[in-house]
Amino acid sequence: MKNRFRTALALAAAGAVTLAGCSDPGAGDTATGPADWPAQDADLSGTTLTIWAAQNSNTVPDSVIAGFEDLTGAEVEVVTIPDPYEQGVQTKVATGDKPDLAFWQPTASQLTALNASQNLQSLDGAPWLDAYDPELRDITGILDDTRYAALITTPAVEGVYYNKEVFAANGITDLPTDWASFLQTARDLKAAGTTPFYEMGADRWATQWWVQVQLADAAEDGLWDRVNAGEEAFTDPTIQGAIDQYKALIDEGLFNEDIKTATFEDQGAALLAGDAAMVMQVNSFFGQLQSLADTDELNQKIGFFPISPTGTTGTFIPDQSNALVAFKTGDEQQESASRQLLSYWLGDGYGDFVNAQSTVSLQTGVETPADVPEALLTVADSVGTSVGSMQALAIANPDLYIYLADMIQGTKTPAEVAEATQAQFAELAKAQGAEGF
Amino acid sequence: MIRRPRPWLQKGIPMASVSAGAPRSRRRDHPLWFLVPALAVLVVFFFVPTLFNFVYAFTDWSSFKSAINFAGTDNFVSLFSNGTLLNSLKVTLVYAVLVALFQNLFGLGLALLLERDTAVNRAVRVAFFIPVVMSALAVGYIFQALLKPDGALNGIIGWFTGSEVTIPWLGSTTWTIVVVAVVHAWKWMGLSMLIYLAGLKTIDEDVLEAARLDGASRWTMFRSIRFPLLAPAVTFNVATALLGSMNGFDIVQATTEGGPGGTTELLNIFIFRTFGQGLFAQATTMSLVLFLMVAILAFPVIRYLRKREDVL
Repeated sequence: MKNRFRTALALAAAGAVTLAGCSDPGAGDTATGPADWPAQDADLSGTTLTIWAAQNSNTVPDSVIAGFEDLTGAEVEVVTIPDPYEQGVQTKVATGDKPDLAFWQPTASQLTALNASQNLQSLDGAPWLDAYDPELRDITGILDDTRYAALITTPAVEGVYYNKEVFAANGITDLPTDWASFLQTARDLKAAGTTPFYEMGADRWATQWWVQVQLADAAEDGLWDRVNAGEEAFTDPTIQGAIDQYKALIDEGLFNEDIKTATFEDQGAALLAGDAAMVMQVNSFFGQLQSLADTDELNQKIGFFPISPTGTTGTFIPDQSNALVAFKTGDEQQESASRQLLSYWLGDGYGDFVNAQSTVSLQTGVETPADVPEALLTVADSVGTSVGSMQALAIANPDLYIYLADMIQGTKTPAEVAEATQAQFAELAKAQGAEGF
Repeated sequence: MIRRPRPWLQKGIPMASVSAGAPRSRRRDHPLWFLVPALAVLVVFFFVPTLFNFVYAFTDWSSFKSAINFAGTDNFVSLFSNGTLLNSLKVTLVYAVLVALFQNLFGLGLALLLERDTAVNRAVRVAFFIPVVMSALAVGYIFQALLKPDGALNGIIGWFTGSEVTIPWLGSTTWTIVVVAVVHAWKWMGLSMLIYLAGLKTIDEDVLEAARLDGASRWTMFRSIRFPLLAPAVTFNVATALLGSMNGFDIVQATTEGGPGGTTELLNIFIFRTFGQGLFAQATTMSLVLFLMVAILAFPVIRYLRKREDVL
């Protein structure tokens, strides 16, 4: 009897192993045909499209969906993937679960993470491309010369949000024009008894902006291409120098005293209250300010300027709420309907969309609504001339921000930050099969 | 000393094994194929994933490629040459030891306090058991709010001291791991309390009475009689607290996310981070390392604790 039991166990195990298979269930077929672009109003009765969205983007498509459903008879369902969104989506896709469309960060590293050439539809030759402001058309969403993501809102820019009233009270009338004048402004403010910068060491993620804006000139000069090829490392003088500089500014006392425990919420409140003069942040920080004050107050108090070592070049970093990708689901009809929805979104539906979202328009033919706050307009103006961030241009996105937060807490030296980041970058690059790793 | 029954270690002894002619009737009552549904679930959801845990650790499975290739011990080499894994292993061990310590101290203290079966004690026992059935993430987020520099705990301390208190309870690179371990122990102390209560109930009243007649103080009675006789409960509580908290994730993720400065980055948080980067094979390798570490630690710990039970 014991033997029979063993046999049964072995058979069951063998069966289960066979069923589970030993291949990656996320693998799809690679065939790419030239995509046709259906008319925006083609009838789609009986078709249901699924869009994956994050908790902060799941209401973004509302106006578009309503218009599209009326126009085509299709049904569009938004499924919220819980945070951390990117990890959730990647895990689902890796196990073979795909939507028709998803909000996705249109950067090289994140498109690679989704295995774009396998899983995503090419959007080359899409009908809406010519409608874009020419400066923004090819700014992001492209991997290995193929367009995979459709940009719907202006990508975030890393730069300095400042309190206009604090600047005025300290007699600062001219905005900094390069890194040196930026630091001089900070030192003048400190001498006058004002905290120049506010950083959120406890929530960690904003720490990396300080390093990235210092790399803007180098990024323009192909820094990330060299890093991607393994020719330059985070431990080499360019990036290491930026990390060292950040640490030196903290040690100099230019930041808030509670830098180790301050959070994202504290940062917004502090800038608005004038407890600190400047914050190095991205667009989502302004979203935080909007939850604390109305547009009039923000227009009166908060300004934005980009900064780079030798000038005022911004560093852009698109996030998940800025763009959508269309998946290869293997069902030609569904795939075509996904493309049709994107055509509508960036076509006839775009005007309603920017109005409903009170956001800056990417298209020359669509006006930006009047109620967009001034700081956001300044941010949008800087996008055209800005350079890509690490997330936008590097093939992998290591946890630089965590290591920098460790440095603020005192558990890593600047040299260790660079080493840890480089080690993780190399690991990711190797997993991607990148040459040079 | 007389061997005492240890009912909580002997659960599940079927009555059939006591009656005569057991093998025959037992086989007729419980045909082996009754096992199949449960076994199938066990195989599919436990054995196979565990098996794949071993297999995938030796591959280059990632979110970047569709093919999965054999990679030898590559993952192990790169993980062990990278200091983060060893740091996480160290943090995990320290955390587990702290949790085991606190959870058992709290649990035993509560059990001794609430030992008598009064109506009040019963109600209080229920109150202390509630955190056990609460969602660990919810517990973590609530404590995160309580322990903020401007949180409720500092508010209470400030009210008593009459001055403003802004201690960053979760902001110290040295003490935060202790604070988080206390939160973990707080959540699970009700379970330890319950098991210690059950253990205390099995101690023979005669032995305690004899000790009292001999003039033993309460402390002597606890130290020399009750605590040694609680050995089986200690075994269970220490082993589950120690080995269970090595798999800890939820409370730490909700309170500190591994910070400040990586000082509370448990191995599971590191695994979560690695998996999120799309490095599935490396994450699998780490979970294999964790599995091995728990297994290696479990045997000596349980053997030592079982040896203590020889007094019974």
